[in-house]
Amino acid sequence: MLSLVRQRTSCSNPSSFVFSRKVSFQTVNAVINALTSQAASSLPAASTSSLHGLRLAIKDNICTKNLPTTCSSKILENFKSPFDATVVSLLTANGAEIVGKANCDEFGMGSLNIHSAHGPVVNPFGVKVASGEVVERRSAGGSSGGSAAAVAANLCDAALGTDTGGSVRLPASYCGVVGLKPSYGIISRWGVVSFADSLDCVGVLARDVRTVRRVHDILAVYDSRDPTAAPSGVREKASQLLTSHFEHVQGDSLNGLRVGVPQEYFPTELQQSVVTPVRRILEQLRARGATLVPVSLPSTPYALSAYYVISSAEASSNLARYDGIEYGTRVEPPPGADLVKTANVYAHTRSLGFGKEVQRRMLLGTYALSADAFENYFLQAQRVRKLIKADFDRVFCVPNALASSPSAPADGVHVLLHPSAIETAPKLRGPDDATDAQSSTLDAYLQDVMTVPASLAGLPAMSVPGGQGADGWPIGVSVVGQWGCDELVMRVGEVIESCREDA
Amino acid sequence: MLAHGRTRLLTHKFLWRRQAHAVRAPLEDARWPGWELVVGIEVHAQIKSRRKLFSEALSSDLTTPPNTHVVPFDAAFPGTLPRLNPKCVELGVRTAIALNAEVQHRSAFDRKHYFYADLPSGYQITQQYAPIARNGCLALEREGISVRVKQVQLEQDTGKSTFLPRNRITAIDLNRAGMPLMEIVSEPDMRSPEEAGSYVRTLQALLRSVGSSDGNMEQGSLRCDVNVSVNRKGEPPGTRCEIKNLNSVKFMMVAIACEAFRQISLLERGLPVPQETRGFNEERAETYSLRSKEDAPDYRYMPDPNIPPLLIDSTFIDAIRQHMPELPDATRGRLLAQGLSQRDVEVLMDVDSGREVGFDGQLGHGAVAYFDDVARGRDPKVVVNWITHELLGQLAFRDETFKENPMSVAQMGDLIDLVQTGKVTGTSGKTILRHILTNRTADSPSKIADDLKLLAATDDGASLEKWCQEAIAALPEQADVVRRGNLKVVNKIMGHVMKTSRGTAKAQDVRAMLLKLLS
Repeated sequence: MLSLVRQRTSCSNPSSFVFSRKVSFQTVNAVINALTSQAASSLPAASTSSLHGLRLAIKDNICTKNLPTTCSSKILENFKSPFDATVVSLLTANGAEIVGKANCDEFGMGSLNIHSAHGPVVNPFGVKVASGEVVERRSAGGSSGGSAAAVAANLCDAALGTDTGGSVRLPASYCGVVGLKPSYGIISRWGVVSFADSLDCVGVLARDVRTVRRVHDILAVYDSRDPTAAPSGVREKASQLLTSHFEHVQGDSLNGLRVGVPQEYFPTELQQSVVTPVRRILEQLRARGATLVPVSLPSTPYALSAYYVISSAEASSNLARYDGIEYGTRVEPPPGADLVKTANVYAHTRSLGFGKEVQRRMLLGTYALSADAFENYFLQAQRVRKLIKADFDRVFCVPNALASSPSAPADGVHVLLHPSAIETAPKLRGPDDATDAQSSTLDAYLQDVMTVPASLAGLPAMSVPGGQGADGWPIGVSVVGQWGCDELVMRVGEVIESCREDA
Repeated sequence: MLAHGRTRLLTHKFLWRRQAHAVRAPLEDARWPGWELVVGIEVHAQIKSRRKLFSEALSSDLTTPPNTHVVPFDAAFPGTLPRLNPKCVELGVRTAIALNAEVQHRSAFDRKHYFYADLPSGYQITQQYAPIARNGCLALEREGISVRVKQVQLEQDTGKSTFLPRNRITAIDLNRAGMPLMEIVSEPDMRSPEEAGSYVRTLQALLRSVGSSDGNMEQGSLRCDVNVSVNRKGEPPGTRCEIKNLNSVKFMMVAIACEAFRQISLLERGLPVPQETRGFNEERAETYSLRSKEDAPDYRYMPDPNIPPLLIDSTFIDAIRQHMPELPDATRGRLLAQGLSQRDVEVLMDVDSGREVGFDGQLGHGAVAYFDDVARGRDPKVVVNWITHELLGQLAFRDETFKENPMSVAQMGDLIDLVQTGKVTGTSGKTILRHILTNRTADSPSKIADDLKLLAATDDGASLEKWCQEAIAALPEQADVVRRGNLKVVNKIMGHVMKTSRGTAKAQDVRAMLLKLLS
């Protein structure tokens, strides 16, 4: 029923799997744990629809009427949304087939997809699917690990993820697929379960940029139900600003394109084996006419802390609604429990329903918003966020369409390019990795160091497969553009794709 | 009952002190000689909009079955997002203009967090840091003072929770959850329970006149929290206490007086007044502690990341200003200028304040508008007499409100014209009015007069002369007395004529005719 033949022109790793037609969809999914629920086959849509024949997986924190929406949390174990998210309606209205819901970190909080009520996602790159044998158990990345793994294992043609601080780009990088986080406000968030509203973006994952674009173009429309959606006027302004600063990429020629290489994105934590393939790609871009420009984004070192304060603060607020009253899991207080304070009644439901990582972030966020800490944590983080945005606006030659008086340096760059992650996919530890020691929490947060600045600034960023690290596992390179320059980011991504095929 | 507190209470103590004494000279009050009372009020008025503040759910009244006006957003379903209702903004701006406040070109929404069963999202969306309007004032005419309004903010109402003792469960109704409120915060400018009462009543009338709220305290669409402190004359204001959830003006005034006595008694015994939030027991007429300053919750205010700043430009404000409904003070002035008596104006405006407030700022048709319509092209003094004395009198007699008045503007106009042009007498006019109220007929008074044969005789005095001669014949003794010069007795004969004419004869004409015949 499925075509599980997969081509990997640039990958010669012996442990990489080879799909065979004999292997069933179910067997593959049982090994990698990518889909948490599967749709019954739907009627074929009209063949004239623009997404006809395209099979998609939807991250489990995006609402679907016909499938559960658990957010990989016990607290929404049996939850079914009464409505479809705008993105889901758009996909089905355009003829796409929804194959199922994709595993993820609980409410999108995590970088390795190990904090899930459904268990961790196993990176398909280490699985010999012919035999179902796991050659090497590694993380698919998170939080959209199920989406990336489902795409990589060909369980679907494309998948929707969400990206709050790198949750689409990181798993794309680890699984060797393409992952786009569009500009904030371009794709509707109506029906997307909030983790941190000011950062959350719906992203698209697929095996090639062409498919990502196909899906993106259907979803990138204004939705009045999303108060943070960019109005049509702003979208037009951004596209005018781009065309007035850059003529279209002609074929594979990058003449006139200035590519910025931010020095802060090559920190000490970065494996040398990750740097080498990125360098190779930069060389190839130069060979096609691009100018490489070293740039500095000096506030980058503060981005990670600011990100964790802001995202956790918003999360603590957004997750306050899971109290077991209107919907979701409810744990009745035991007999004799103190029922005087509402919070004490909720505590039973929330202590059992939320996983450790979610609880950790809610506590951090609650603290950051408390009267004593608000100024030094939350407001300070917002100031850093402004600095990060200003950093980007200083290096791009395309002005920011969201700024009240857009201006930009004439000699600025069109896009930035840097590694998507500091390493290849990390190993999964035991069969139950949610129990991993606290010491690794900080390491997990560090996975996001390359991806959070674009999230804080709301910029389009795409991770494209960029070759392999020393261990033979995939690494991704990220292309980042000015707000609204999603198309340019995809065009450059496509050129990188063709570079790899040429190599 | 609810965990609504105000951190403002805890942080702005010094501001309170400075402002309280800058404005008013001390006021001697016989109830507490030597002491001064300082009162500030926070009013929560529900905006009379057709839909909720951030969702498309319809607003409800007390007859709406529980949990029927609820959409997923109101129940805080995952994936839902707020969408600001522009009608609520418009009514907020209208209110701000009516309060002479500065509408802010940029305001913003914040989340105020606390756990309570009637708050499904775990936070209330409010305007903590950047309210929609600041620096207004409300003049209290009778007291001759002006109360400053610190700010007006838009916010969500909560749901309602009801404890059912029989089943020992709490029932939650989300119809009210997410309804729009205006929080109107006064400066501590009031010095007595009566001034506080007058402030709330004046504010109610103002909100109703601009159509932003029906201001109904009994039905909970207007709620008050009052801040009360006392101090010895000449000393700075004392520590204040907040009394929450007062739902009638009367009880609010009682609560303030009770609280003043309580604080004075503490201070007179040399004890400090602890800063706290208090409730009011209406039956025992005393306030009681809800929570102390130390127990004040930390609401962890955070800018709402889903709602962009609310930008209001001058064009928008001017457009609203140009179409502002008439404010009570202007109405009063206008009516007095038409020659109406103070008393008539008060009656009209009092009845007017009970008029229906329409949704989304549609103005109801009240007693003043009725008067204005009828008085167009007619003598306002005559019109107000007919409305206040005859119409309202008859409605009151029938135990009906002005809302139930079946008499149209056209009917009232026609009636007054009939009487003024002498086609019917005043007495007949009153009969016609009663006829309309009783039968709730849409017939014109002219037709009714015709049907009931109430039209004054138009046979150039022939009928009149006939009736008079009949009367003289029927009462020969009285006629003789009159002939001898005792004119007082003519009234007796007049009464006979009126009876025969069934009120259609004019008393003056009858008198003149009788005197002519008897001279």
